[in-house]
Amino acid sequence: MTDTEVHLRKFQKELSTGTVSLVLLSALAQAKEPQYGYQIAKALEAAGKNLQGESLISGKQSAFYPVLRNLEGTGLLSSRVEPSISGPPRRYYEITETGRAVLRQWQAQWQQSKQFVDTILQGALS
Amino acid sequence: MSTPKTIPEYLEQLRAALKDADAAVVQDALYDAEEYLRSELATRPNADETQLLAEMATTYGKPEEVAEIYLEREVQVSAAFRSPLNTDALERPSSSGVAAIAASQPRVSFWAKFFGVVIDPMAYSALFYMLLSLATGIFYFTWTITGISMSLGLGALIIGVPFAILFIGTIWVLSLVEGRLIETLLGVRMPRRPSYTDKSRSIWQAIKDVLSDARTWATLFYFLLMLPLGVIYFTVAITSLSVSVALAFSPLVQFVHSDVVLFQFGSWSLMDHPWLTLPACALGIFGMLLSLHLARAIGGWHAQFAKHLLVKVGE
Repeated sequence: MTDTEVHLRKFQKELSTGTVSLVLLSALAQAKEPQYGYQIAKALEAAGKNLQGESLISGKQSAFYPVLRNLEGTGLLSSRVEPSISGPPRRYYEITETGRAVLRQWQAQWQQSKQFVDTILQGALS
Repeated sequence: MSTPKTIPEYLEQLRAALKDADAAVVQDALYDAEEYLRSELATRPNADETQLLAEMATTYGKPEEVAEIYLEREVQVSAAFRSPLNTDALERPSSSGVAAIAASQPRVSFWAKFFGVVIDPMAYSALFYMLLSLATGIFYFTWTITGISMSLGLGALIIGVPFAILFIGTIWVLSLVEGRLIETLLGVRMPRRPSYTDKSRSIWQAIKDVLSDARTWATLFYFLLMLPLGVIYFTVAITSLSVSVALAFSPLVQFVHSDVVLFQFGSWSLMDHPWLTLPACALGIFGMLLSLHLARAIGGWHAQFAKHLLVKVGE
């Protein structure tokens, strides 16, 4: 790994800390029915490919699961477990009313932060 | 570490990479990985498992990378979501990162800690668990004893074996229920997952797995022990609460209706000494706080005990 790559990885990690929650919450707000971890991960992977973007979590979808569990712990998501024929029982997640309210605030915050960062990056200070 | 060729091998490597982590984290990580890997395998039934796992290393992550993600998350989560007052009742994860965060928090004075218990929901739920444990304890004990004796009694007949298997099944379900109770009321993760049948194994193998699982036997033991424990918890909770409440309200009782018999020892009665009711009230309030502390401590201890018998045994 080259020197700049280390810095990139570190930046990706820091950046993803907050954004993964936002992305997952938004994904579940758009979902028509409750979804389980693998489904969500695959949907996001497909969406990420269309944009040809670097993956948000440096490519590792395992990072979604702990975040889903946290979001449930704080009441933004609710879940139920259903048996599955392919493997262990699946936990299906659904966004709660609180979750939707929080998502609206997060979206507003994201827009603001994005705008600010863009302004600086486009040379507002020069 | 070699690249895993089968899903069990992958999970084994993940478990090895997480060997120092909290049991709850290990279970979560293994469970999530298995869900992901088996779902992927199910969508492509004709694919080669080895080939598939090699691809997984880039999408889901290599076992050691996944382990790293879970360990990091654990530190962040416990830092973000743990309210300072609840830390006593909640289990302490083993990771050193959490300890560092806990150490950096401002120190709370002894008295703040002592009175803080009043607003700690965990103390009240632990108290509730202690009261509930009499009922659940009696039920678990009766169920277990009935099941064991009937399994043994029917052993000679053709329905003996199916009955015993059915009974063990109910024990697993009850253990899940008790786990949820402990999670909700005592605030300790009890990550025992419902068992499922792996299609590649026969029903006899599955039965053998359950019988050779140490948790099955530890659970039976736990359920038998819940009767005496339940009786003790209930008695301790009721006694400490009623004495404290009676003391705390003695001035009020004295004021409203001084004929009531309250704290009578031989010919001496608290109600005959009105001036004594005020210190008695203070003592009662102190007793209530102490009861809450006791409940929280017992709750914490019991949760660890339950976690040991219902989750950790045999791992």
